[in-house]
Amino acid sequence: MASVSATFVSFGCSFNQTKCITAGKNCTISLGMRNRTLTAVRFPRLRVSCSAKPETVTKVMEIVKKQLALNDDVPLKPESKFSELGADSLDTVEIVMIMEEEFGITVEEDNSQSITTVQEAAELIDKLVAAKPDQPASESEQKSEAIS
Amino acid sequence: MAFTMRAVKVQPSSASLEEARHRVFDFFKTACRSLPSIMEIYNLDDVVTISQLRSNISAQIRKNAHITNPKVIDMLLLKGDEELSNITEHAKQRHHIIGQYVVEHSGPHDKGSTKDPSTSEFLKNFYTSNYF
Repeated sequence: MASVSATFVSFGCSFNQTKCITAGKNCTISLGMRNRTLTAVRFPRLRVSCSAKPETVTKVMEIVKKQLALNDDVPLKPESKFSELGADSLDTVEIVMIMEEEFGITVEEDNSQSITTVQEAAELIDKLVAAKPDQPASESEQKSEAIS
Repeated sequence: MAFTMRAVKVQPSSASLEEARHRVFDFFKTACRSLPSIMEIYNLDDVVTISQLRSNISAQIRKNAHITNPKVIDMLLLKGDEELSNITEHAKQRHHIIGQYVVEHSGPHDKGSTKDPSTSEFLKNFYTSNYF
């Protein structure tokens, strides 16, 4: 089931509309016009499978909260920048390392420079997690296409 | 256990603070990535978690965060690399690691307070240094 949901993620990635499928609340507002038909088709399927992305975002937010020792009343949104939350550059690197360990991925040097917000971190994680088991992902992608 | 000599390469000194910062992050990443094997080598699973060790490492890096001279940073990184190689090639022992990186000790006045629980400011200053 994990691989199946990962294929849905990678399926979405191929359209490069990751933000659109992540969290219905904020994406359809920004990109709703173009992708109304697409999202209408794909949403029921995503609801059934545990969509990895909101989970990833909440997990990343938890990690950030614990690392920076934020109080509960600090507003923590996916778009909040790490520097806004009081993290210096070493904190950012440390958060990336915690995510590496948590999700079992390896973040490359150039990737880690571009991470400034929680949302970017979650997207990078999902991309790397989906890219990791390359063989089974492509097989079940073919299967899912056959089903659809 | 094979004793693998990891040569600590001496790189050309950093040109700028930015490059020194990159080196610090590379060192931190290398250290974090070797943490699982360190936990296994020294059987630290019941004493400390990986995240505690990681925050310990970052706290030590942060202690020197105020330094701006790239050459000094290079020197500190050299010492850090040396320490990391020593630890990963099992040149240290378990009690070294526990004493240095797990237990938190905050200076001589702490030990003084357990023996003699006086809250005298004079004594606290006296324990830390000669001049106050």
